[in-house]
Formats: sequence, structure tokens, C-alpha cells
Amino acid sequence: MQTSELLNSYSVDPATWDEMYTDQTVRGQYKGVVDFMQQMSIEELNKKEELAKRLFMSQGITFTVYSSGEGIEKIFPFDIIPRIITASEWKYIEDGIKQRLKALNLFLKDVYNSQFILKDGIVPVEMVYSCPHYLREMHGFHVPHDLYVHIAGIDLIRDHDGTFYILEDNLRTPSGVSYMLENREITKRIFPDLLPNNNVRSVTDYPNILHRNLVSLSPRQTAHPTVVVLTPGIYNSAYFEHTTLARLMGVELVEGRDLVVDNHRVYMKTTAGLQQVDVIYRRVDDEFLDPLVFNPDSMLGVAGIMSAYRKGNVAIVNAIGNGVADDKAIYTYVPAMIRYYLNEEPILKNVPTYQLGHPDEREHVFGNMQKMVVKRTNESGGYGMLMGHSASDEEISKYKMEILKDPRQFIAQPIISLSSAPCYMNGKLKPRRVDLRPYALCGPEGIQIVPGGLTRVALREGSLVVNSSQGGGSKDTWVLAG
Amino acid sequence: MLSRVADSLYWMSRYMERADGILRMLKINYASSQDDIQEFSWMPVLRIFTYLDEEGAVKISRNTRAVLQYMVTDRENSNSVLNIITHARENARSVQDHITKELWQCLNDFYHIVRDEKLNRELHKEDPVSILDVLIKQGMLYFGTLDVTMARGEGFAFINLGKYLERGVQSADILDVKFSDMRYDFRKTDTTYWKYLLLSISGYELYLKTYRSGFDARNVVEQIVLNEEFPRSVLYSVDRVSRYFERLKGERNKEAFQKIDFMIGRILSKVRYSTVETIMAQGLHAYLIGIKEDLYQVGNALNHNYFAYT
Repeated sequence: MQTSELLNSYSVDPATWDEMYTDQTVRGQYKGVVDFMQQMSIEELNKKEELAKRLFMSQGITFTVYSSGEGIEKIFPFDIIPRIITASEWKYIEDGIKQRLKALNLFLKDVYNSQFILKDGIVPVEMVYSCPHYLREMHGFHVPHDLYVHIAGIDLIRDHDGTFYILEDNLRTPSGVSYMLENREITKRIFPDLLPNNNVRSVTDYPNILHRNLVSLSPRQTAHPTVVVLTPGIYNSAYFEHTTLARLMGVELVEGRDLVVDNHRVYMKTTAGLQQVDVIYRRVDDEFLDPLVFNPDSMLGVAGIMSAYRKGNVAIVNAIGNGVADDKAIYTYVPAMIRYYLNEEPILKNVPTYQLGHPDEREHVFGNMQKMVVKRTNESGGYGMLMGHSASDEEISKYKMEILKDPRQFIAQPIISLSSAPCYMNGKLKPRRVDLRPYALCGPEGIQIVPGGLTRVALREGSLVVNSSQGGGSKDTWVLAG
Repeated sequence: MLSRVADSLYWMSRYMERADGILRMLKINYASSQDDIQEFSWMPVLRIFTYLDEEGAVKISRNTRAVLQYMVTDRENSNSVLNIITHARENARSVQDHITKELWQCLNDFYHIVRDEKLNRELHKEDPVSILDVLIKQGMLYFGTLDVTMARGEGFAFINLGKYLERGVQSADILDVKFSDMRYDFRKTDTTYWKYLLLSISGYELYLKTYRSGFDARNVVEQIVLNEEFPRSVLYSVDRVSRYFERLKGERNKEAFQKIDFMIGRILSKVRYSTVETIMAQGLHAYLIGIKEDLYQVGNALNHNYFAYT
């Protein structure tokens, strides 16, 4: 029997929330998919997996690894079994993210202008001023519609009882949305009819909403403002995403060298001379954006763009300086921000976080290193972190020395186990840990979240790290309608 | 259109045309190498299409497999089909939002095929013609996809400018090297020699229909340089360059347009109002070098006036 073949080795860790199984039965939302899979032979499923790989390769959804002077094309691992979210779970997530983004956006406006929240002592002044992403260049001017965060990719995880926690607010240049879109396209190809039969909500509106928001930010009153996507170039690992977004929105994809600033206006160099640019969705980090103001060695940016921005002649998305709001130490204060600005109780929880700058909290963390994950406040992508339960004593003591050099740059969190979801591995379903990154778009009309997101999965058995740079893959993410 | 984008489209197209030319030429020369031609050598091919020095070329010029491998899959040869396709694909990759998804996928597939280790192995062991055919077909798929899916805008004009400039230069090149090979001796009547030259640029059937009296070097020159209906002739290529350049006419960048329009017009007249006699009077080599030089200058002028972005 193939039925048992497929499922018989699916053993859920009892201390983990599993997305598919509860008490040895399949949850309602997964029934359609499990039934469908059981009707297929291992050969068929293997063929589907092969087809998915080929589709990624042929569409060039790849990144290049350079080794011994030669580029090798790789695809990000894709697991064919979708991750499924119910309508009620989604409603909760959606409400929680909207609330959080509203508060974070108000925080950014406040912290770069009147600074009420600092004066009222809700967020300690030294926390903000010691953050390397807090930019004095952003002080005292109004960005269009007071919007700082236009695109957010907020990371969520689920603890052993199924509770959602916010892990990170990515408010700078969150990536991965092209995988949300492409993974869905792949599912359509490899499993015909499965999506409509399961009542899955569509994600295809994302580029349209994004485009509409970008156009609405144009400082010039013109019927067809020039919107561009600014990429670091073809060697960037997210280059595929940049071209996809430009293509799906029908806007120009530019590099820093295509742009020039004259008299505080930004222009692009075209075959018919210079053309003024109104809105820039940039995928270049703050630091590299303007060599006159930030890193003088940057070849990726545009000299003078900051002055054009401050003059209000060009809109930049996301706003510059957002890093102060998604800093891992400032994160601790987000629930307080929600209470302060909105007078509401936070819907989505924070993971308890210890500031290693605090002597008391540091002591507590040092005493319980095995149960902690320690992170640098300004790093992302799974770099520079220590998972206490799997580190050796030597690694731990070395890391402690690092921390003591500059404790403000570190935070610690109890290790949250992450929920597991079924993955197709060599003819069997196996549980692997997942997180969830929905993409929120904030425009003058409000906040919209397309029903879906990127589910990242730690493909190594037992691993809790889902970052693609650390051996993670991804899944198509379904949100079911009602 | 961004200058950088125009530049990339133009070069994507030049590289694809070059790859196509090389593949066809290899296929026919391979056939020729198997035929009963006493003095067949890969030397002229290696001279036109590679940067090998005399010594390096002589070393492999009698070894057909080695030549094929060097010209198709060698990573060290900057003009191998593999490297040319890689360049074309890099250019396409940076302008994916300006070509259709179909075109991008077609080129990307080509890239993966030519880089596959299997291809290299087969080239070594199996029938080379089948392998060259696979690659030529993939190229045809590119040209067809381009024609069927691409919008007829500015980008299409730059793509065609690149394509026909490259083709013009290539046809002049092939003719020049083949004649230099026989020291511009127009009395040579070895039928097979001309047959394979014409076959390599798909002009054999047309030749038979046009000239019924057997092979004459003068007729070969006439067809490859002056025949307006032959899609690989110099005249046809320059005429296309001129047509596609016309489409860039606009209010902006007027001065640059007029300058280049004048250059192209002059080349077109020069070719159109040549006859085999006037070419011979001037000397074939000098004539072809002159045309090539003129075409390169058009390329430089495009670069200066339309593509400059750094």
C-alpha cells in the first residue's frame, strides 16, 4: 500500500506543533492534499519533484555560486508539499501584522521628528542613538504621506502550542516575495486542479498593489510618473527577484550607473537623453545608496540621491533609516509602541527577548546559555548567531567574550522550537521545521497583505535554522478561503 | 529606453547571430572535411573565428574533433560557442524585463544545453552533425521566438541592428578568408570548394538557381556581396541595418541620429552601386576590409551616441 508508504515514517516530535498532524490524525486543512498525494505513486511524485526543479532551472530562477572562477547555477530548494494556513489563522495573522506595522510606522515618523516616545521614556534614548541604522540624515523632514514602511516581510514562527510569535520585523529591503509568486506558479504546473479544488486564495495581485502604491507616492503631479526598481546588479543573489518585480509591474529595472542627479532631481540615462525619475523602489541597502552621504566607496548607489530625497523631488521605497525600527534590540519595545501609539493590546506576541546591554539580563542569559539563541542586533540571514543547545562549551565561551566587547549589539531569546510541516523526501513525508513570512504593502490607502507568503523550511533533520544561506528551502504557502 | 538596456539588447543579439554563424560554418566544414577534398584544412576557420596564433592553429588544424571541441565547448576559447552563448545570456539576464519571458527561457535553456558536460562528451564520441544540429535548432528557436513574441518597439530595433551588423561583418569575413586561402586567384574552378562555401551560409540552392553555368568565383562574390535577395549578403545586411535604424528617428537625439543615418546611407550606396567589375578593379580584399571598417564605425557611433551610460 502506497498510503502507508508515504505516511508511515511521519513521526511528529511530541514537543512540537505540527501543521499537518494532531493526535495521529490529519488536520482538516490538509485532508485534500494528503488524499491527493495518496492517489499518486512514488514514481509520479518523484516525477513532479523533477519537473519542479526543471521549471526553476529553465526559467532562470537561480542564483550563481562562484567556485574556482566558474559560475554554477543553483536553484533554491523547493518542497512540493504546500504549507496550509486556515482562514481563521490568517485573519488573526493579518490583524496582528496590520496593527504592528501601524505602530512601527508611527514610531519611525516620531523618532525622526518630534521624538515623543523618547521624551516619555517608553523607549530608552540610548537604545535609539546607539543603533547603527539610526540615521541623522533622516531627521526633520516629511516623507510622502508620512509613510516609512511601504513593504514589510514580517517573520512569524509557531511555538509548541501553536501560538504565533513575531520573530523579526523586516522593514528595510525584505526579499523572497518572488518565491511566493513563483512557488505558486510551480504548484499550478505540477499539481493541476489541486488549487481550485482546495479553495486556495490567489496571490497574483501583489505586483499590481505594489505598483499602485508606488505610483501614488510620486512627488510630481503627472499622469504617468516614472517608477523604477533599483538593483545592485546581476551578481546580487536576489537579482531574479528584482527583474521579476520590474517585469510584473511593467517598470524599468535600473542600476546605480543608470541614474544621475542634477539640480536635486534624479534622472535615468536613456537612448533619448535624460528622463526624470519620480519613485524608486530600491533594493540597495541604505549604506550603499549615496556615496556622498553614506559609504563613499559604494559603486551601487547614486551620488546626490539623498539631497533629491530630502528636497522631496523623488520618493524612495522603503524610506531610508528604517533599520532603527527593525533592530533586534528595539524589537523588545514594539509591544510598548503599540500600547503607546494605538492604545491597543498587541495581537501578535513577541518572543521574550533579553537585552545583553542590561547587566541583570545578561547574567541570566549567561547562566542559561544552553536554552538560548543569541543574535547580533544588526545582522540578518542567520549570520552571526549562536544556538545554545547545539554549541560546544568552547564556542559558548568564545561567543561570551564577543558579547562582552559590546553588549548592546546582542540580544538573546529562549529557543522556540518552530512548528513542523510535511516535506517530500525520497518517497516519504517527513516533518521539517518551518517559519512564515507574509508580505505587507502599506500605501496611502492603508495596509494590504496578499493572502500567502513565503514558508521557509529547514531541510536538515532537527535543524531550526530556515535561512536559505544556511541550507533552508521553501514551500508554496496556501491561505484557504473561508 | 535605458542606454544600458539598449546596449545589452544589441550585444545579446550580436552574440546570438555570431553563434549561429559559427555553428553553421562548423557543420558544413565538417561535411567538407569528410568529403574528398585533398587540401581540406581547418586553418581558414581557425583564422576567422578564433584568436589562436599560427602555431596553435596549425597544431589542431588537421584534427577535426579537436577543432570542434575547441570551437564549441572549450572554456578557454573566448570565442567558443559556449562562451558566446554565455555572453548572450548574461546580456539577456540583465534586461529580462525588456525581452519576453519566452525569449529569456529559450536563451537560458540554450545556455544550460551548451554547458552540459554530456554535450562535450558526445562531441568527442558521437556524430558531430547531430550535436551541431541540436544547437542550431536551439538557435532557430531563439530567432523564431524573437520574431513571434517581441514587441516592435525600440528594443526590437536595437536587437536587429546588432543582428545585421554582425551578419554583414561575418559574411564579409567569410568571403575574405576563403579567397585569401587561395590567394585571391579567381581562376580557381574547384567546384567542391565553392559548394561548401555557399552551403556554409545557406546560399547554395540560390546560387544554382541564379547561375546555371557552373561555378565561377565572380558569381560567388556577386551573390555574397551584392544579391539583394540573399539574406546573408552584405547588401541585404546593410539594407536591414538602415531600415531598423530609421525606426529610431525621433524628436530627441536628432543630431546623433542624422550623423549615424548619414554613415549608414553612405555604406548602403557604396555597396548597392558596386558591381563585380568595380570590386575587382579595387581589389576584393581592399573592398571587403573597407566595408568591415565602415560597419565597425557604425557600431562605435551607436555606442557613443545611444549606449554610453557610464
